[in-house]
Amino acid sequence: MPGGGVARRPLHFIIMADCSGSMTGERMQALNYAIADMLPQLAEWERDQLVAQVLVRVLSFATTPTWHVREPVPVGELRWKPLQAVEGGYTNMGPALREVAAAIGPAKLENRALRPAILLVTDGRPTDLGNELAAGLGALTSFPAGRASLRLAIAIGHDAKSEFLDQFIGDPSVPVIVAGNTEEIAERLVAASIAVSRLSEGGADHGALVNQLLGTGSVGPKESEDHTIV
Amino acid sequence: MRTSSDVPPIDAQPWTVLVASARGAAHGAAGLPNQDASAWRVLETLGPPLVVAAVADGHGHPRHFRAERGAHLAVEQACACVERLADQLLVGRSGGELEAFARETLVPSVVQAWRRAVAADHAASAFTPDEEAIRAQVADEPVIAYGATLLLALLSERWLLVAQIGDGDVAALFADGRVETPVPVDPTLDGHYTTSLCQAAAVDSFRIAVIDRAASPVLALLLATDGFGNAQASDPWPPAVGADLISMLGTRGMEWVRGQLPIWTERCASTEGSGDDTTVILAVHAS
Repeated sequence: MPGGGVARRPLHFIIMADCSGSMTGERMQALNYAIADMLPQLAEWERDQLVAQVLVRVLSFATTPTWHVREPVPVGELRWKPLQAVEGGYTNMGPALREVAAAIGPAKLENRALRPAILLVTDGRPTDLGNELAAGLGALTSFPAGRASLRLAIAIGHDAKSEFLDQFIGDPSVPVIVAGNTEEIAERLVAASIAVSRLSEGGADHGALVNQLLGTGSVGPKESEDHTIV
Repeated sequence: MRTSSDVPPIDAQPWTVLVASARGAAHGAAGLPNQDASAWRVLETLGPPLVVAAVADGHGHPRHFRAERGAHLAVEQACACVERLADQLLVGRSGGELEAFARETLVPSVVQAWRRAVAADHAASAFTPDEEAIRAQVADEPVIAYGATLLLALLSERWLLVAQIGDGDVAALFADGRVETPVPVDPTLDGHYTTSLCQAAAVDSFRIAVIDRAASPVLALLLATDGFGNAQASDPWPPAVGADLISMLGTRGMEWVRGQLPIWTERCASTEGSGDDTTVILAVHAS
């Protein structure tokens, strides 16, 4: 085989985890449990489908963002190290979005990579000052891979469901997923991670995703790639 | 997995054309056919023989439910157009004039011929109730159902002309070991959305490249649907794959490469690779 052999298409999956002060205690414990529970299920999904290799990164954010898993790690190889909440930390999402934008910006991803999948998990409304939030979202959507990225948001608690999360998702047909209590975080995270991966891989439309999130659809391997016209 | 390289390639001096195609693993799992197509011909002209070669990739989205036919019509009509225009294409033209002729005459002819062929196909075989339900749901014109990309190459002793719409790859392999991707990049192609023959602005979406072999002696030209490039582990892949191909052609020879090409193509289309339909044409100069 000429070249360096063949490989599945990379699917870059980025978790943006809210580690602000309000996540301290039970919520952070539940989020760590949820991510640790999600990873093997996402790895199982990866094995079942026929196209993508899932590469995971995790960005924690509070007053400032910090990469918890900076380099893309194959989902089956990631051993979860718990996130820590930042005491007194704010929920500044703008800098976090800019950090993600820098990570997947022009020439940062493989040409053959599938659309990046970004999952934002938060228990609060953005605390960014001025136009930081809009600037962050603007940075993320200022280049093709960022614009094409598939974005989902999980709000922990109904109070966290903000207009910004709808703007972040950027698709009126896709709702913010609400985990009403800590027990629901794991279930929502698994559903959302597989849904966003499946969308990136190209096997489901957004309508199907909505059905899935509302519990009326099913999560299964994709059956065909879905190129369509610009 | 099925390959469609079962038609023995015919050597055409000075170009030898190798072809292989494989159905993508994802398409196989879904019971879908290989929606790629390829065609090539040797054209007898007033001068030395020319070779025209084309590959097309029918879009996989359900709204393009006749994409397989759209891809086949694309390569057939493209080759036929080049054949009709062959005597005008190269006679006394500079590289710039050839590019202008391709943009102003050849590409519009190809798009028009494809649309005409699609209309004839639709007239002869109306949409089934299931197909019509899909079309009505998205309110598409019938032509959208046939959506496909097209990579078209005309190869002569001196000139190489390439016209491309949509994704896929063209790599020029030079005798001195260099590898170039001559067709300009289209920033609107993001791996999910592609430009297409079925769009109203198809003519303007074509990207064109002309290579003068007198200045840059091309050894081989590779045309591939995106299932090939999306399967390559190296990134960017054209330099690595191209350099190895040049080496293999030199050390192992044409017949060995001819025998390997279907195997490589199947690996690209497998679950180890892109899982997508994969079609490759490798045109090799006798030099």
